[in-house]
Amino acid sequence: MSNESRSNLILGVSFILFSLLLIFVWIPLDTDSGILEKVRRQVIIGDALAPTLAGVFLLIGGFILVVFERNAPDQSEIDLVNLGFVAMVVLLLAVSFLVMRYTGPALVALANLTRETPLEYRLLRDTAPWKYSGFFIGGTLMIAGLIGLIEGKVTFRTIVIGIVAVLAMIAIYDLPFDDLLLPPNGDV
Amino acid sequence: MGTLDYIWSGVLAVFLGPELFSLFGLPVSVTLVMIFAGFFLGIAVGATPGLAGPIAMAISLPILISVFGYTPDALLPVMGFLIGVMKGATIGGAVPAILFNTPGTPDAYMTTLDGYPMTRKGQARKALRVAHLSSVSGDTFSDIVLIVCAPFLALLVEGYLDLPEKTALLILSLSFIAAVVGGSPAKGLISTGLGLLVAFVGTGEDFYPRLSLGGPVLAQGFPLATAILGVLIVGAVFKELADIWREKRISGELTTIEDSGDQKLGFREIRRLMPHIGRSAVIGTAIGALPGIGSTLAATIGYTVGKARYQKTKSADDPDFGKGAPEGIAATEAANSSVSGANLIPVLSLGIPGNAAAVFLILAADSIGGFNPGPSVFRFTRDAVNPELVIAFGLFTAMFIANILNWTIGGVFMRSMGIMTRIPKQILLPTVLLLTLTAIYVQETRMDAIWFTLGFGVLGYAMRAVAMSPLPFVIAFILGGKLEESARQAFAATGGDPYFLFTHPIAALFMALSVGVIVLTARNSRAKASGATT
Amino acid sequence: MHRVFKAGIAILAAAVMTTGALAADWTPPGPIKLIIAFRAGGGVDTQARLIAEELEGRLGWKFIPEQVTGKGGMNMASALKDMPNDGTAIGMGVTETFGYNMAAAPKSGMTPADFTGLTTTAGFQMGVVSPASKGWKSFDDLVAAAKGGEDIRFGVMSPRLADLAYLLGKAQGVEFNIVSVKGGKAVLDGVNAGDLDVGFMAGIQGKGVAAGDLVNLASALSEPLVQTPDAPTFADLGVDFNSDGYFVFVGPAGMPAEARDALAAAIAEIVADENSKAGGLIKKAFGGSATISGDDLTVLMNNDYKDAGALLDAASE
Repeated sequence: MSNESRSNLILGVSFILFSLLLIFVWIPLDTDSGILEKVRRQVIIGDALAPTLAGVFLLIGGFILVVFERNAPDQSEIDLVNLGFVAMVVLLLAVSFLVMRYTGPALVALANLTRETPLEYRLLRDTAPWKYSGFFIGGTLMIAGLIGLIEGKVTFRTIVIGIVAVLAMIAIYDLPFDDLLLPPNGDV
Repeated sequence: MGTLDYIWSGVLAVFLGPELFSLFGLPVSVTLVMIFAGFFLGIAVGATPGLAGPIAMAISLPILISVFGYTPDALLPVMGFLIGVMKGATIGGAVPAILFNTPGTPDAYMTTLDGYPMTRKGQARKALRVAHLSSVSGDTFSDIVLIVCAPFLALLVEGYLDLPEKTALLILSLSFIAAVVGGSPAKGLISTGLGLLVAFVGTGEDFYPRLSLGGPVLAQGFPLATAILGVLIVGAVFKELADIWREKRISGELTTIEDSGDQKLGFREIRRLMPHIGRSAVIGTAIGALPGIGSTLAATIGYTVGKARYQKTKSADDPDFGKGAPEGIAATEAANSSVSGANLIPVLSLGIPGNAAAVFLILAADSIGGFNPGPSVFRFTRDAVNPELVIAFGLFTAMFIANILNWTIGGVFMRSMGIMTRIPKQILLPTVLLLTLTAIYVQETRMDAIWFTLGFGVLGYAMRAVAMSPLPFVIAFILGGKLEESARQAFAATGGDPYFLFTHPIAALFMALSVGVIVLTARNSRAKASGATT
Repeated sequence: MHRVFKAGIAILAAAVMTTGALAADWTPPGPIKLIIAFRAGGGVDTQARLIAEELEGRLGWKFIPEQVTGKGGMNMASALKDMPNDGTAIGMGVTETFGYNMAAAPKSGMTPADFTGLTTTAGFQMGVVSPASKGWKSFDDLVAAAKGGEDIRFGVMSPRLADLAYLLGKAQGVEFNIVSVKGGKAVLDGVNAGDLDVGFMAGIQGKGVAAGDLVNLASALSEPLVQTPDAPTFADLGVDFNSDGYFVFVGPAGMPAEARDALAAAIAEIVADENSKAGGLIKKAFGGSATISGDDLTVLMNNDYKDAGALLDAASE
């Protein structure tokens, strides 16, 4: 069976380029000590050696791909439609977690419009129901959104499933343990 | 006291320890209850994708210590609980691997290869039975070896492995994984290189966190959980979501799989599985006894060796490894389960942990006090009682109680988790995803960890898309820090000898083996490739 | 200088009784984030969590412990630095972070002035420890072995200790192979496994020394070790520096006095109480609490930072 896919070639060349960039640009610019250092009259291994070794792994791997495995059988084809779907999933997740992060503070800001003494979300991050607000809204959005994405429609049932799942997770992680923080309450 | 007296005192310490309540007039000790509790928690946690034994141990240890305090009396209940979690999680980890193709623990990854295809063929319950049988057999075998060999074997192994040899051993493990597991040697090397690179971000000895791009986000490096769960679980979930979405697009509806056919495990089948279980149990036990190498490697080697053997002996209409062969599950589960017991050999006799579960046992002993894992544990003093030795035998007893639970009710409990197959995947997968990310957040308490995990998930998906195994990545990530540390230490300890890997005979042997394994597989695969093109 | 601190401790102990009332005057405006600079589940992590738990029980304050580990406490410090300074964010680490480490890493842009010292909890019991199996009974035996041509692997867990090990060798006319490992537990493991011949341990050696498996050859402190008072100190061995250090609670710079005093007094009270879980732990590992707070702690942290330059210079000669 002849194989037209060039994925190994593309992959190999990309990793060769990346590893060269890593070894000759990124590592020298972004580590404090070199490959070997002399400290206290002793030669010691510096911080650059280990990542350089990782770079060498990538370089050799890319090299073998290009030279020996360029024409290997059963190379995978990249399915652009699938890739688009996964990109949508990742986008949905990113939006959900941003909502999760900022819902609480936004609700507090809303509440402050009608209050004499302003509240601060940071100080309420361990107080129900504030502490659940972000996780509840963001988590429901994520689960219901993903189910909707696959089924091609968002129904009332989808949203109920999302809410139930999120409530169950709150019951697992928050109710029994005093010290555990649900997202995003460690960041505020 | 004689040896038998010590063993007997250890058994009594478990059964006659502080009494919690009495059942029909018989006192029930706290330790027994804790082993039960830990065991069931372990199965549940192991069966929950995104959770694993170490996470449960990490969360429960401070709670347990608060409850039991800092007296030697606390040792057996607390460590008994942790042992229960360890054993429960080991069998529980196979459940999501088989049912949902999402390994609950990294060492269950290989279980997905045959377990999930069996589920798709409608043999989920049978696959679970195979996993349970193999896991429990491997575990029990390993515990027996632990008890018989702990005092001797560990001292022997440790006596011959100095820092240069340990470094060389890590290199050998990495080469083996890269060459054998990666799909192709080239892809294996790339997967390994990426794992190492990620492990080295933010770490190192300088005060400047290397490769952190000058910002605070990468300064602490990538937490273990984000890289491992991201690549293995989130990546798998992405792939799976894409698959069911495409399936729906093509057929217009979503399929569910009903169990069909005989789910029982007959005596003849057990006889066929036994050689695979036995071989993997020996492999797992041997690997577990080496400090620093965990169950993931054992599972990989057990599976690979089992596969080679199986290819030669199977009849033509049996499914291949990776296509739903019960033998594949048996080879994997027996190997990864037999690590846990043997892993305690270096822990108990030298105080050196080999895997995360062992780390938590040491931390427990350390925080409570009165038990100092190290050579002093196995001093069989005749005149005075060595209380640490009593504790050690108490722990062995706890392990066997957990094993008995495992043999008797563990399988039923484990299969009851199979109820989850009824949940449609498009509902389950998003839930698992949020559960995993929440578990990671609870551990790391910063949003960065979630972004990292999603990033690693994309990487995991991409690797699967180009047929590159994510396993070398994970193992390299785990071993990367250890490799650098032991290389630095060996270099410093030998007074800056740049050839330390080659001037010590055993280290040199390991190095020769590492080069050999890569050259051999590269030649093999080239022969295969040219055979395919001509 | 140490005498001053001891007097300070005595005064503080008396003051604790009176500030007990003061502590009640201040209540944190919300849950307190407690950033721990050591690995979860470790001895020090447990210490921090137990103190927090006890405070929650006694005063009804709410603590949320969190781990920010690595770089010798520098990651914790940089996470804490820009937090609100109203007492709702504090950190636990070691004084070495704010002294030697900040001096050695000028690029981090942090100095002790960016932090408010609350209180120390306990001092290190830093010994030079070898396994009994080596057969060395005293530090002289170690030096004799090194002079006899034996390679000595010296385990250290921080750059400051590496400098001290180097200077120790220099003062004694021998050269050690200095091996850096991660944390005191790793030194203990290395020594037990025979990978290291000798190493620094800050209190973790207590049980092993008591059992006769380990030997405290020298005290790396300015004073003798509680457990082995006969072992020579670094000054006796001709080293002008020592590894004196403490576990310390800090907050971001500019914390209001009432918050600072209330937190410091409340923590000090608990660690000094041997019947509390935290106090019991400290008694067992470090021979008792050592609580330095207020201006004394500010002076201590500033001096550590200033003096670090001299050690860095001496070790780079």
